[in-house]
Amino acid sequence: MNTDDLITSLSRDVPPVRRGAVGRRILLGLAAGVLVSIVYVVARMGVRPDLAAAMHGFPFWMKWGYTISLSIGALVMAAQLARPETGRLRGLWLIAIPTVLLAGLGAMELIQTPPGEWLRMWLGHSWMQCPWRVLTLAMPIFAGLLWSFRRLAPTRLRAAGAAAGLAAGAFAATVYCLHCPEVSAIFVLTWYSLGILLATGVGALLGPRLMRW
Amino acid sequence: MRASEDELRGLMISGLDGNAGDHAALLRLLAPLLRAFYRYRADSGQDDIEDLVQETLIAVHTRRGTYDRDRTFTAWLFAIARYKMIDHFRRTRRHQPIEGLEEILTIEGFEDATSARMDVDDLLEILPPKQARMIRATRLDGLSVAEAAAADGIGESDVKVSVHRGLKTLIARIQGGRR
Repeated sequence: MNTDDLITSLSRDVPPVRRGAVGRRILLGLAAGVLVSIVYVVARMGVRPDLAAAMHGFPFWMKWGYTISLSIGALVMAAQLARPETGRLRGLWLIAIPTVLLAGLGAMELIQTPPGEWLRMWLGHSWMQCPWRVLTLAMPIFAGLLWSFRRLAPTRLRAAGAAAGLAAGAFAATVYCLHCPEVSAIFVLTWYSLGILLATGVGALLGPRLMRW
Repeated sequence: MRASEDELRGLMISGLDGNAGDHAALLRLLAPLLRAFYRYRADSGQDDIEDLVQETLIAVHTRRGTYDRDRTFTAWLFAIARYKMIDHFRRTRRHQPIEGLEEILTIEGFEDATSARMDVDDLLEILPPKQARMIRATRLDGLSVAEAAAADGIGESDVKVSVHRGLKTLIARIQGGRR
């Protein structure tokens, strides 16, 4: 096809684009995925029975504080990587803050607990399931973000995939808090983070294949 | 005449607001710009370049929502152009036959040949890139010194010196490894 003809045919369809279209697209995919994850937790895993009481306690907000701030940091990165001209990524350090804070809480916890109890505290009741459940809940969110990204213009596909995976993992962990009754900081720091990292890895692997355009 | 950043950006924003005429004008201005961009960077035929130009124009059109009105337009444009170029070569290279594969398979047995090549590749990896490239060109790919020099855009004596130094390092490494 002749380039002039191509331009003519492309210019037949020029709908207006609102400001913030990229952000809206990402949030839409994200919201759809998060909704599916919430439904899955409510219907299959079960919301923890003492949720209302737990929401008045410190451990619940420690967990949400960690996962929600990670989610925001990951979204900031994903939004940058959704545009072609990413240049240097800004805000990478944002995701270090919650991790360092949680590690500090974990250290305090260890000091206050007799060493004999450490292993029990670290493994909790559900260390074997926790990372896999976070990863499972991350899948619909990752799919939602993939739907968003496929219409955007990422040029660093592995990084974009990893950022989407990280965001999916962090939001999945946030959703998982509705079910998980664990209270220890080192539990969250290890097993939640492991699930989130797995999701990030899956994203980095799939990004170059599934985000091409 | 080359269009300026301000002019292109103005047309782009007007197109984003739904002005189809300005959008068409933008794409018309971009075509020669992209042609020059690819001609300078991609060492390929006219058809290839026109394909790339068209692919990029389509991308500019379909992904126009990812342009942020507050940022430089040409940075956005060339980021897309670069991505399309890499993607294009990745795709086309996949369809090219691996050089000499038939010979390797029939004459020596595939595994021997590949492991020998891997050994050579490992060895060459310890050298500075230029020395490795020159040894590969003159000793493995069978180019003459003059051809290798022309291919890399350096002088013939530079080629000879690189090969000599590289081989010396390799010999030292292999002898050292035996001891």
